[in-house]
Amino acid sequence: MDELEILKKDWKKREHSFNQLTETDIYKMLHKRSSSIVKWILIISVVEILFWSFINFFSADEKYFKTLEMYHLKTVMVIISIINYAVIVFFIYLFYKNYRAINTTDSVKSLMKNILKTRKTVQNYVWYNLGMAFVIFVLVFIFQFMYDPNIEILINKVTQNINKTTFYFIAFVFYTLLIFIFLFIIWLFYKLIYGILLKRLNSNYKELQKLDL
Amino acid sequence: MNPRQEEIFVKQLQENQNIIHKICRLYTTDEDAHKDLFQEITIQLWKAFPKFRGDSKFTTWAYRVGLNTAITLYRKKKKSLSTIEFDSTFHKVKQEDYNYEEEEQLKLLYSAISELNDIEKALIFLYLEDKDYAEISETLGISEVNARVKMNRVKGKLKKILNP
Repeated sequence: MDELEILKKDWKKREHSFNQLTETDIYKMLHKRSSSIVKWILIISVVEILFWSFINFFSADEKYFKTLEMYHLKTVMVIISIINYAVIVFFIYLFYKNYRAINTTDSVKSLMKNILKTRKTVQNYVWYNLGMAFVIFVLVFIFQFMYDPNIEILINKVTQNINKTTFYFIAFVFYTLLIFIFLFIIWLFYKLIYGILLKRLNSNYKELQKLDL
Repeated sequence: MNPRQEEIFVKQLQENQNIIHKICRLYTTDEDAHKDLFQEITIQLWKAFPKFRGDSKFTTWAYRVGLNTAITLYRKKKKSLSTIEFDSTFHKVKQEDYNYEEEEQLKLLYSAISELNDIEKALIFLYLEDKDYAEISETLGISEVNARVKMNRVKGKLKKILNP
């Protein structure tokens, strides 16, 4: 079939008409993965806030508010929630900014810079969440101690047998332990979902470092 | 993946990049799509690289993964793809060997190819690449006999499009 022979001839002739990519170009292509990792960080953070809002929405029944009122914490909690959401929305905005930045960079150097920035943002985000959890736990425990009638009954009962300082000391140790266990669980949770992504981002970063010599 | 492996991969790919460019030429119609497909194939190759044991040639393997990627992507995007025109700017011939009749014929041929389905394109591609039936069968994962039958059918189909 001679038409096909003409085609083949033409095909061969144009074999070398392509813009040739350098090794650096190909490396960069492989490291574009960074942008998809950062996209996942963004998506997960949004899913996370939706998840917590959902839980909050359904667990915040009358009993919950009554308890808060009993602890004299209702106003404080509302304020904390508002601040918390504002900060988290701000973090999501930062994640989005990082994503845009990484998506549009084409130089290795600025990509590296953006990866570092993203890492920092994620770390700050995790620290913020841990800090917030800590503050809330401490608040709740202190106010529970001060205002919960059940605790008062318990104190009266127990202090008949042991002296008051010992009791407070034991309670303090117990609550501290409890808080740290909770924080540890939350930390694990973040380590799990963001840690994997950060690790990949880091290895991308190391590869880029080699390129940039 | 360790850095040494990455180095080998990038080197091999750089040397054999025309294979991917050619697949892109056949499956895409504009420069942006060409770039996108190129990148997609590169990433797919990189993902599959740990499984590449060297029991076939790097090039054969690259043909296989590249075509598979193009075919899958093409299927996904089929509806949004503008199927008809093979852009004529795509097809530049140097002034000195310009031959009007041949040029017209080539235009027709390329537009006929763009009407083929994804598998048929892959076959024509391997034909243009001068692959023998053994390699075609290995690349597409079909038997040699089947490859031969399919190839004849595609050639027939092209002929029919060209001479209705």
